Amino acid sequence: MKTTFITFIFLLSAAYGCSDIGVSKSDSVASAGAGTGGSMARFTVAGNTLYLVSNTTLRAYDVSNSKNPTPGKETKLGFGVETIFPYRGNLFIGTQTGLIIYDATREGDPRYLSTYNHVMSCDPVVVQGNLAYVTLRNGTACRNGLNLLDIIDVSNLTAPRVVKSIPMINPHGLGVDGNVLFICEGDSGLKMFDLSNPTDPKLLQHITDVRSYDVIPSRDVLIVTGKDGIYQYSYADRKSLKLLSKLTIEPIV
Amino acid sequence: MMPSLQTKLPGLLLVAVLLLDGCNNNRVSPTNVSDTRDVYRPIYSSYDAVRSIQTLAPRPIRQAGKIYIKDGFLFVNEIGSGIHIVDNRNPEKPVKLSFISIPASRELAIKDSILYADNAVDLVALNVADPTNVRLVKRIENAYPVTAYPPMRNVRFECPDSDKGLVVGWKKSDDKNVNCWR
Repeated sequence: MKTTFITFIFLLSAAYGCSDIGVSKSDSVASAGAGTGGSMARFTVAGNTLYLVSNTTLRAYDVSNSKNPTPGKETKLGFGVETIFPYRGNLFIGTQTGLIIYDATREGDPRYLSTYNHVMSCDPVVVQGNLAYVTLRNGTACRNGLNLLDIIDVSNLTAPRVVKSIPMINPHGLGVDGNVLFICEGDSGLKMFDLSNPTDPKLLQHITDVRSYDVIPSRDVLIVTGKDGIYQYSYADRKSLKLLSKLTIEPIV
Repeated sequence: MMPSLQTKLPGLLLVAVLLLDGCNNNRVSPTNVSDTRDVYRPIYSSYDAVRSIQTLAPRPIRQAGKIYIKDGFLFVNEIGSGIHIVDNRNPEKPVKLSFISIPASRELAIKDSILYADNAVDLVALNVADPTNVRLVKRIENAYPVTAYPPMRNVRFECPDSDKGLVVGWKKSDDKNVNCWR
């Protein structure tokens, strides 16, 4: 009994971790009337439903009248839930132990499809076409993890399978937009990959003097957040990013 | 005369059990002065203060959290305190328009001109059509369970006391005499 309790406490405490930092997704997922968030978002609007994930629960709110969100179904997900990414009527939920897929075609009534398990790591997810891109990070909050980009074939939503794993340095958020993929490498910079072959990203550029944690790529403009500022780059030229502006972050000294 | 250990023990156990319960997900241990982990204390606020949402003048970004874009505007969460609204129609020259003070907020999403944010234990819907005059259109109270521990890992902290108000943040403390950890 005691052991069970301690194990429970351990799992519970292990379940809270790398949820502070956001990341990205492409325009293609936006619902009518909704905007675009990062890949580590815990709030998202899909259709007429606002979905919130807490560490253990998926909550649906009916926002068909956007001014009057109305509480709907609650779904228990397990522990260590970090991110939610809607794509083509499905919800891709990143947790510290894997990727959970829900069918959200019935508004506000998500239906469980599958879980892809991996080692314990932090893991935001973005999806494009039949592929999910997941970063796994070994951070202080997510012990035992690896630093990887996993590419997962989700063409069969009930049986996702990994098709490629690529070593990374310290991957945080990520964003995908057509033939380009961005990976935040934390204090180790920002990477842009050519995604002409969606299962074989080719590194185009690695900017090392930016500390990056979160990106939103949209219409050839990449918004990057990091410790030093909010940078905006044009990626119209896929060969190299062009800095457009920087909003400085002014930490309290 | 000091009571013997035998007479104190049941009382200590009771206190330990109560503390454990009060800390929810986190273990309670006796104070250990040689413990070098960082120590945090809760920052309390009244429900009234937490539930006050205001549109303020633009201010410096101190700690950027989640970001969100909608119709040429960029929304930047200031971790734990609110949302900066930035006119980003020209990404070469973003202009900060206002700061929406939303105590204890970390998350956001938008549909139409309504921004949804967490406000400590509540979910709020805000009309952001005019970024300089953001209006609360709906508040769903107690949409979230109270969080009884700091977001940092491998730290010790003072066990929150709900009688002191709502925990809206955590600050580092030099006082090592605390009983909760995670």
